[in-house]
Amino acid sequence: MKWHIRRVIKKGKGSVSYEEEIHFGDTLTIGRAADQAIFVNDLRAALEHATVTVLGNGRYRVEALVASGIRLDGKLEQNATATSGSQIEVGNSRITLIEPPKDFEAAVEVALIDKTEVAAREESEALPMTLAEAGIGKRRAAWIGLISMLIIGLAIPIVAHYMPTLRIATAGMPMVGMNAWDTGHLHDAHHTMAGDCQACHGSPFSVVEDAKCVVCHAATPAHADPAEFPLPDIAQARCAHCHRDHNGNEGLVRNDQVLCSDCHRNLTERIPNQTLLANVEDFGNAHPQFSVLLPAWAEDGSFAPVRTSMDKTPLIETSGLKFPHATHLRERGVTSPDGTVNMVCADCHVAEPGGALIAPIDFEQHCQSCHRLDFDLRVPDRQVPHADVAAVQYMLDEFYAKVALEGGYDDVSAPVIVRQRRRPGQPPPTPEERREALAWAQQKATQTTDTLFSGRACGVCHSVSKDPAAVRGGWQVAPVRVAGQWYEKSRFTHNAHVTMDCEACHIASQSQSSADLLIPEITNCRQCHAGEHDKELLPSTCIACHGFHQSEHLLR
Amino acid sequence: MHDSILNFRSYRYLWVSILLSLGSLTAYLWHDPIGVPNGGSWLGYTLGTIGAVLILWLLWFGIRKRRYGRAIGTARGWLSAHVYLGTSLILISLLHSGFQVGWNIHTLALVLMLLVIFSGFFGVYAYLRYPALMTRNRASTTREAMVAEIRELDAQALQLADKVDKSVHDAILRSIQNTRLGGGLWAQLTAKDESGQALTRLKEAVTQATTADKQHRSGQTMVVMVDFLAHQANDAQSDTLRRLIDLVSRKRALASRVARDIQLQALMEIWLYFHVPLSLALLGALTAHILSVFFYW
Repeated sequence: MKWHIRRVIKKGKGSVSYEEEIHFGDTLTIGRAADQAIFVNDLRAALEHATVTVLGNGRYRVEALVASGIRLDGKLEQNATATSGSQIEVGNSRITLIEPPKDFEAAVEVALIDKTEVAAREESEALPMTLAEAGIGKRRAAWIGLISMLIIGLAIPIVAHYMPTLRIATAGMPMVGMNAWDTGHLHDAHHTMAGDCQACHGSPFSVVEDAKCVVCHAATPAHADPAEFPLPDIAQARCAHCHRDHNGNEGLVRNDQVLCSDCHRNLTERIPNQTLLANVEDFGNAHPQFSVLLPAWAEDGSFAPVRTSMDKTPLIETSGLKFPHATHLRERGVTSPDGTVNMVCADCHVAEPGGALIAPIDFEQHCQSCHRLDFDLRVPDRQVPHADVAAVQYMLDEFYAKVALEGGYDDVSAPVIVRQRRRPGQPPPTPEERREALAWAQQKATQTTDTLFSGRACGVCHSVSKDPAAVRGGWQVAPVRVAGQWYEKSRFTHNAHVTMDCEACHIASQSQSSADLLIPEITNCRQCHAGEHDKELLPSTCIACHGFHQSEHLLR
Repeated sequence: MHDSILNFRSYRYLWVSILLSLGSLTAYLWHDPIGVPNGGSWLGYTLGTIGAVLILWLLWFGIRKRRYGRAIGTARGWLSAHVYLGTSLILISLLHSGFQVGWNIHTLALVLMLLVIFSGFFGVYAYLRYPALMTRNRASTTREAMVAEIRELDAQALQLADKVDKSVHDAILRSIQNTRLGGGLWAQLTAKDESGQALTRLKEAVTQATTADKQHRSGQTMVVMVDFLAHQANDAQSDTLRRLIDLVSRKRALASRVARDIQLQALMEIWLYFHVPLSLALLGALTAHILSVFFYW
């Protein structure tokens, strides 16, 4: 094997000269020892550092003889194949495998490595010593973070806002589309609209408008008539001023005390002489006495209750009825057709199905079993109808006319024709007899009617009067109102108070007269209820009894 | 007393932060919002505005710190305020949200903000602790000087090694090649340096080279060396080897110090690689948070 070795000798000023020699052998030895084919005069080279063997076809095997290896084409190798053009670096020398000239099997070029080149390579191969040199940057990550947040938090939701298909497609994905903007769960009442932001949120950057609310809440009354009460607080208040959603089931409906008291605590000072409303701030210590609707009737007979403060004395209930509660509730009981009965409140006073009010007292249901309206000992089962003066007269007229015609009425004061029983085949009464019978019947009916109204039946409970101008009858019964809504401005519900005894609020067993108003006043309620911030009693805000939306004016 | 970022001007900004936090907390406890506490109440908007202004001001620190001598206040004062007011932001933002969280951009902004703040806490720790450690580690020299000295020691070691044995020379050559000062993120943070292997290799080379010590024992490198030296007949060579061991040990100590120096510097900087990008991500999330709230007012 014949090697061509060409040494490059730099002579300064850029000029070079070459020294050429021939080496025989299969391998080319490289090292610092004197016997090496290529002598490297550098301590960084071992005495016998490496060998190069020809493999043929322009390929070579480069083998390091020391564990520190040899640098082939910039990489440290122990044993590798190389081709023409490959560079081997040992110490300060660079050995380049080149195309062998004619008559040679192999050729290398040996040159000293430039000092500046060594320095530059050391520089470039130096490992990074700071994070910045290690190629880690903050700028790119910062941009990625900034832009990705703007895309997730702004771009996609805005596109979804204008593009229903994207909105629907991303509806179920947390953090995606409109969900990225969702500030919290909707109230259960609004959950059906959870996927439809625009049901409430209209044009961008504008508040939720009342028009969106009244799409569903059309029948909700306003608080007060904005025309009559042009207060900024009322006229300019939006629905969303009080009703804030996206807070779960909390907060959508206000029931705090300030909701009312911030306006109502000093109404008389803010709008003097313009309001009938009293100042209210706290049920426990700043609430006026209750006012009740006392029964009263207008001149035309229509029911026209008068709202009266319970501070008024005397406080007389003019129900139109004579009814001593004490008599009915006495311990020894009351006498009834079925014997002695011990009555309780619920025998007459039963809550309406809704539970808010007490159902009206019904004579037929609650009273008639004892207070019978029979009128003739001979027919104890017959009773006159209740609550219809004219019907009583008609019924008795007809009853006694029938009795007179049939005869057989066992009454010594009656004429013979009435007392005689008619028999088959008997000739009909003469016109004289008929007139006599009818006259008796009318007289008997009038007498019975007068008896019923004046004392035995109606007068027991009712105030009965007689029209002096009337030729016949002319009985008048004063109108009656014994149950109904007493507190016009509040919502009291008996259902919420079933744990209480009736007597705790209504002292009926002591009441000898129906003029006693058995409706409780504020001190009664304050035994248990107090304002929102009370620590001992049941904290009750205005909304516990009063409604906000209770004007007669609808929202739109 | 030495003014650090924490006790700057007698803890001036600590007091500012405490007052701000106490004020926010008092308002939160006193406030009786409609429904539950949330960002939509007047206090929620107020705390949100304070928080947003604080975040923008804290972000401005990234610009302020580059403006040497062109801005009001000292950089140390700004950093002190940055740390304390940034910490108070945790409370202010939680009160702003009324502790409501969900899978949305609003909570994402909160989480990013907390990550930024807590990465900043590490930064405070790093700035207070590592400079002193670095100074002590460097022992009044510089990293460049240490690196230059290592190169010098390498060259000397090669010369000495050549005088002992070729296997010793090879061992030194390899150890020079394997000397790694610095490296990637992990190498910098873990202070990995392989200079410790140099002595091991040297031991191997020595045991290989010597036939005098047939019964060489495995064990401590130094013990082997001393054994070797004790059995050396040639005084000149044993002296050379002693000097070589001394050189390699010095190099090893130096390389460890350089690695530790790189590690301390990397630790002092690494948190910023979270702090800064996360704070920019927070800026994006905050922008989206604010705009979205008013988009759907």
